[in-house]
Amino acid sequence: MTTVLKVEGLKKSYGTKEALRGIDFEVQAGEIFALIGPNGAGKTTTLRIVSTLLSPSGGKVTLLGYDLKKEPERIRENISYLPEEAGAYRNLKGTDYLKFMANFYADTQEKTEEMVKRARDIAELGGALGDKVGTYSKGMVRKLLLARALMTKPKMAILDEPTSGLDVINSLEIREIIKKFAKEGISVLLSSHNMLEIEFLSDRVALIDKGVILDAGTSGGLKDKYQAPNLEVVFRSAVR
Amino acid sequence: MKKFTNLLVKEIRELVNKQLIVSLVMTMTIFYFVGNLAKTEMKKAAATQKISVMDLDESDVSRGLTAGLKTANFEIESIPGKNPEAAVQAAKQGETYLLLVIPAGFGESIVRLEPREISTYTFLRSFSVGGIRKSEILRAVISATNNYLSNDILKKKVPDVPPDILKSPIKTKDFVIVKDRMAEGSASAISGFVWSQSFIIPIILFMIIMYSSQMVISAVAMEKQNKTLETLLTVPIPRTSIVTTKMLAAGIVGLLSAAIYMIGMKSFMGGMTGGIGSSTIVSGVIKQLGLTLAGRGYVLLGISLFFAILCGLAMAMILGVLAEDFRSAQTLILPLMLMILIPYLLSFFADVQTLPLPVKILILAIPFSHPFLATPNIMLGHYSAVLYGILYMAVVFFVLVFIAARIFSTDRVLTMKLRWGKKKVVL
Repeated sequence: MTTVLKVEGLKKSYGTKEALRGIDFEVQAGEIFALIGPNGAGKTTTLRIVSTLLSPSGGKVTLLGYDLKKEPERIRENISYLPEEAGAYRNLKGTDYLKFMANFYADTQEKTEEMVKRARDIAELGGALGDKVGTYSKGMVRKLLLARALMTKPKMAILDEPTSGLDVINSLEIREIIKKFAKEGISVLLSSHNMLEIEFLSDRVALIDKGVILDAGTSGGLKDKYQAPNLEVVFRSAVR
Repeated sequence: MKKFTNLLVKEIRELVNKQLIVSLVMTMTIFYFVGNLAKTEMKKAAATQKISVMDLDESDVSRGLTAGLKTANFEIESIPGKNPEAAVQAAKQGETYLLLVIPAGFGESIVRLEPREISTYTFLRSFSVGGIRKSEILRAVISATNNYLSNDILKKKVPDVPPDILKSPIKTKDFVIVKDRMAEGSASAISGFVWSQSFIIPIILFMIIMYSSQMVISAVAMEKQNKTLETLLTVPIPRTSIVTTKMLAAGIVGLLSAAIYMIGMKSFMGGMTGGIGSSTIVSGVIKQLGLTLAGRGYVLLGISLFFAILCGLAMAMILGVLAEDFRSAQTLILPLMLMILIPYLLSFFADVQTLPLPVKILILAIPFSHPFLATPNIMLGHYSAVLYGILYMAVVFFVLVFIAARIFSTDRVLTMKLRWGKKKVVL
């Protein structure tokens, strides 16, 4: 297995508040790695650091061997980040938005078209892609953004609460898409409150609370270890 | 370059939205119609005007006066009768704006040098500029008649001395000196003319700087409000390109919008002045004194304006980061507006050189003061002051861009915001 992401002793402080107090984990190629924990545990901060939005206060992050502090540009070329409350440009049509984003990753017009076609297939929004994003429902925007994140076939997709605020049908569709792309070799680092979602999606899980990783492993392994019927009980036991 | 262009096109598309186009078209239409309406009114005022005249004298002098009115393009409507009160009532019923009542014995009284008063009535049926101009023309005609009559009397009484000498024994010859050039003319007339020709420049400066800055602040704030900034910051494009494209797009759209507004404004002002007021004598003196903005002057003013826009954009970029959403961005534009408004207003009313030193330093420290000061400085040949201003703005711009680029390349672009409740900047 090839290690795509390596996080070592990662720390982050906002003034006097410590959001991350030294966390370590690795993500392998094609693996879906999930961070689960309550609000304020440090999930989003970790994802934002890996996606080069925030700079770490300590520790080291390497993606495909590129050091986050020294080569953030190279890291950006190989990742796609989907923030929890992301939006798209409301005045642009769906297709124009996808083209605009694809142009940052594609060298040629053909590659841009190829990425947009892939995004169309992922989003399955049909004729709505010809409408302005401002007219989309929340679920449609989320599908568009997920398609945007995956159309470039990044080495790593960083997804913060990918199904947050969506109905059951949209959530299921999005989970299927993520699973499918991971099988094609894309590594996924995701965070979620939804333990069921994590059990369904992830290959490995890290339990994070108050800026510290309490435990990590496969869903099955963790359930066995804590003799718990599901991840919610695992988490409660780990916190105690 | 492809990525840069991609981002620039998106920024321009975001700025040129329906609201902007509708606002530009509406303003242009309003300016055009109001300007045309004003032009028509001014033409009406300059065209043949009706004046009611009750001549109770019917002497040569009174007839001379009415003849003068005809020459000044007035159509005389004689009111019969002997009662001035009735004349006022009659004129009130009609459409006339002016009434002149020449009392009986007026001509003789002039000859006796015991002049009787003639009465003029102006019916203020509106407060329009056109209405006021009618009474001004009447006053000018009376003044010309007065001059003619006094010359006539003086010629009869003192035939050996020209009336001009008797009326104005002190003769003056006014000269105006600008640096090493000198020309004959009145300082107030020249100042007035220069002002009338250049007063539009500060308005243009004000509008361009305001537009561009507001666009950048809004663009950054909208990225935050629509939650698109985080995604944009993770795409493989240098952060400096994000800063530059936002500023460039706002600069381009701001310049275009201002140009469109100014075309409308020109049409409006053209209508308001009705194309009057340009004296060839004064404009000749202006040229002789070099008080024009030709060639090098326009280039310098352009460079000065360009750097002021850049400073505005860079400041707006930093303020935009502090905004949490579009609404707070509208509040954050206030300090920038004040910085532009102060030199803008000063350019109309005060001479910076004569202000107390601390105030002068404060004004000169505001980068936007320099393009406002550039016009008079260029006209008066103070080129070094203009160049120092440009240099100062360039330095301020590079410092601001450095700060903006630093903010965008660190966490602060996401974490820095102005919290009104707590009244502190969270870094």
